[in-house]
Amino acid sequence: MAWIAERRRRARFESVVLPHLDAGYALARWLTRNDADAADVAQEACLRAFRYFDSYREGDAKSWLLKIVRRTCYDWIERNRPADLVPLETETDPEGGVHAPLASGIDTDALLQSRSDLRRLDKLIEALPPPLREAIVLRELHELDYRQIAEVTGVPIGTVMSRLHRARSALRRAWDGKGCGDAM
Amino acid sequence: MEKDVVMQCEAVRPRLEAYLDGELAEAERALLRDHLAGCGDCGPEAAALERLRDGIRQSAPIYRAPENLRSQIRFALRREAGAGAPAALRAAGWLAYAASILLAVVVGSGGTFLMLGDRQEDAIASQAIDSHLRSLLGTHLTDVASSDQHTVKPWFAGRSELSPPAVDLSAEGFPLVGGRLDLIAGKPVPALVYKRREHVINVFVLPASKDDLDKTLTRRGYTVCHWDEGDLGFWAVTDAAPSELTDFERVFRAATGG
Repeated sequence: MAWIAERRRRARFESVVLPHLDAGYALARWLTRNDADAADVAQEACLRAFRYFDSYREGDAKSWLLKIVRRTCYDWIERNRPADLVPLETETDPEGGVHAPLASGIDTDALLQSRSDLRRLDKLIEALPPPLREAIVLRELHELDYRQIAEVTGVPIGTVMSRLHRARSALRRAWDGKGCGDAM
Repeated sequence: MEKDVVMQCEAVRPRLEAYLDGELAEAERALLRDHLAGCGDCGPEAAALERLRDGIRQSAPIYRAPENLRSQIRFALRREAGAGAPAALRAAGWLAYAASILLAVVVGSGGTFLMLGDRQEDAIASQAIDSHLRSLLGTHLTDVASSDQHTVKPWFAGRSELSPPAVDLSAEGFPLVGGRLDLIAGKPVPALVYKRREHVINVFVLPASKDDLDKTLTRRGYTVCHWDEGDLGFWAVTDAAPSELTDFERVFRAATGG
């Protein structure tokens, strides 16, 4: 009888969660910055989501999936490209997460300014540190509201607001600084 | 007049992005809208932020999952779900025939059984949370305090029929702090105690349940993760984030040979 329940569970999963696969893949693509890795991560995240489908309660399936995709991305990055996980230089993150215990931080502005090859906004976004990048992607491209971003990224709303502000300020300075503001 | 505008600007600036993100309540939104229309500093600032947003949305590629990814995932789900099907159903000959009769019986009463199973599971989860809370409130977190599995594991021998695998997972960020005997469903069961930063993870060890589904439940703000491994059923409870507990399950199972 367990397998009957299992089959029902799978059908429900496919109709509730899989419609958000594009959104999940897009987030994975922004965080891994690579097509093949994004596909691997998205698939692993969906299987993870299926395993923990019982923890899903009626409601925001998109945010629920994005949260798992994000978690899977960071696990993957930690395993394959730990150097990508540099912490922000000043942020007291009560949740800690993957950024807290690492060594010294980076200066976001210096990071963007130093890359003279980055003239396009999408490339600038890719160059942002992951916590700022995911905030701006979830807000501007996934069009989530603050509460949903807080839910997906596991930080308080105040932290979401300050990360968005920092991401935008850095993008504007880098964008304006290179005189390509009008070219876009 | 001049001073009024300056005062207002100071109140407007911190709210400007929330305003553009549509996060302000109507009353506040109207105040900002009026201010932006008349202010020579804040108006252009808002316009610059809007240009940035438009720029991002125009220049950012729209990523879509590749076509074959969707079908790959469906296939993988089917395989994953299929792993739980009773072996008898996959067997040939009379066994399959016997199974089909059994199946008919099961289908007839299936609903009741499934519900009963869920309720039993909930009852254990609920008691696991109670025990978890007790362990945090009192001074009785551990009977044997040690991060050494060669101390913790033998301690349970003679105190419980079940012999839990007490592995230290400090390297993965989940140090073992010890073990104790606790009560679930009126029976003494081993509890392994781990830490995740300031959070405690209690792992209660019971005989394996019959269905081998992994479950993660959230009740009363606590997360309970359940999985079976051989003859043992594990019930891990924590007040840390659910994702931490699923990570814990992963490293625990990896370390105990699951």
